[in-house]
Amino acid sequence: MTQFKYLIIGGGVAGTTAAETIRQNDLSGSIAIVSDESYRFYSRIMLSKPNFFLEKIPLEQIFLKNETWYKGQNINFLGGKTAVGMNAGEKTVSLDDGTVLQYEKLLLAIGGFPRKWDPQKIEGSDKKGVCYLRTLEDAKAIISGIKTAKSAVCVGGGFVSFETCELLRMKNIDTTLLIMEPYYWANVWDETSGLLVEEYMRQGGVNVLKNEEAEKILGADKVEGVKTKSGREITCQMVVVGIGITFPVGPFKNCVDCGRGIKTNEYLETNVPGIWAAGDAVEFNDIVVGEPVQLGNWANAQMQGRVAALNMLGKRQPFRMVSFYTTQGFGLSIAFVGDVRPLPDRTIIARGSKESRSYGRLLLKDKELVGATLLNRTPEMAPISKLIEKDVDLSAKHAELADPNFNLKTLASS
Amino acid sequence: MANQKEYLRAKEGSNIGKIVVDRDLCIGAASCVAVSPATFELDGENKAIVIGADAAGDEELKMAAQSCPTKAILLFDKEGKQVYP
Repeated sequence: MTQFKYLIIGGGVAGTTAAETIRQNDLSGSIAIVSDESYRFYSRIMLSKPNFFLEKIPLEQIFLKNETWYKGQNINFLGGKTAVGMNAGEKTVSLDDGTVLQYEKLLLAIGGFPRKWDPQKIEGSDKKGVCYLRTLEDAKAIISGIKTAKSAVCVGGGFVSFETCELLRMKNIDTTLLIMEPYYWANVWDETSGLLVEEYMRQGGVNVLKNEEAEKILGADKVEGVKTKSGREITCQMVVVGIGITFPVGPFKNCVDCGRGIKTNEYLETNVPGIWAAGDAVEFNDIVVGEPVQLGNWANAQMQGRVAALNMLGKRQPFRMVSFYTTQGFGLSIAFVGDVRPLPDRTIIARGSKESRSYGRLLLKDKELVGATLLNRTPEMAPISKLIEKDVDLSAKHAELADPNFNLKTLASS
Repeated sequence: MANQKEYLRAKEGSNIGKIVVDRDLCIGAASCVAVSPATFELDGENKAIVIGADAAGDEELKMAAQSCPTKAILLFDKEGKQVYP
């Protein structure tokens, strides 16, 4: 049995940043990274961005570490292997190839996976040409598909569909978007936000169909069309599905406390001593919001990788960060700041309007701001994150917050 | 790359003399903002801009540049030699 002082499950940004941080502080302790992908660390966030997708930059540029980095850092990279089980008592993790690894300290940086269609429920959804986007291999399949496709159907309202639809339109592919909700991203924000996004997408040539779901994927081996529940038949050569994320906690949930993801305290430590978690799959105690929070974005995963590593090294450092996520497409800038869950106890203050094409929502919990969604208002991200970070009492400032021309920087600097 | 914006740095004791943001590469992931909010912000196009070239120490600035998932932040020393990436 191979033993490692630090065993990291996951070779993405959280896992790799953790390995790098550990090595900076412990020059000799053995480190291994287990990754289900055979590729070395690359920029997953680039997969759905035009520079990469439209092949404007060389493929090589997506890799964030060169081939010799792992060896130079004395980090064992076990690529193309998946963790399938663990034994917390014996401190072991078993891999799909039968290997059993023993650890002194374990980091679970397992990430998220796209939710997949069940072919039992959506007939034909296992046909060639039904795509999901997580890995470089997935992206390569989509890039190859768009070279011959004339029309495509995207499914689901969220960041993935927004970005994918734009890439498809840049390639002049007829694009239809199916969303089952009454407006775009109905579970995250309000109708005004959803309708504004749809307006930009329609202007960009996307046929947005709401209250619509796929019922059956048509074609022989390959996708030839989608039949919807309302009876429409849409001809297409590819389907890109973005209907949510799941977290592969299965092999670990008997050992560490899991909900939708892996539960940790503010030190990113699980309920089992010697086991930490970082990245998209973590439900951590967010000391800024004062609640358990789970976030899926690059900056968060990177920072968690660093903080989890410092805690694995014995430095007691809480994770404290106001998170961001932004995207841009069809001429529209979208930014999320902090915790944007529209929970029942949140007060939501709107700034701007659909007509002015500039609309923000500020989410308050009690007297304080905890998050915001911004459409064409990205420069407000900085003052908003300061207001969240500093726990500023805004109970007497609701009128100012609702005025789209009021400069939030004046509140953040006071 | 054509669309680069340069910011001169005159911080005393620093070995970094210039910060460059490649706006064609920047995708607004904001990891630089997370690492060094005194240095970076996002503008209306979701691109990183430098708001305080002298605000952070060299270590923090390097960490912010290294955190970029598209390597859109370039650092140069006082002699104009590129030190990252």
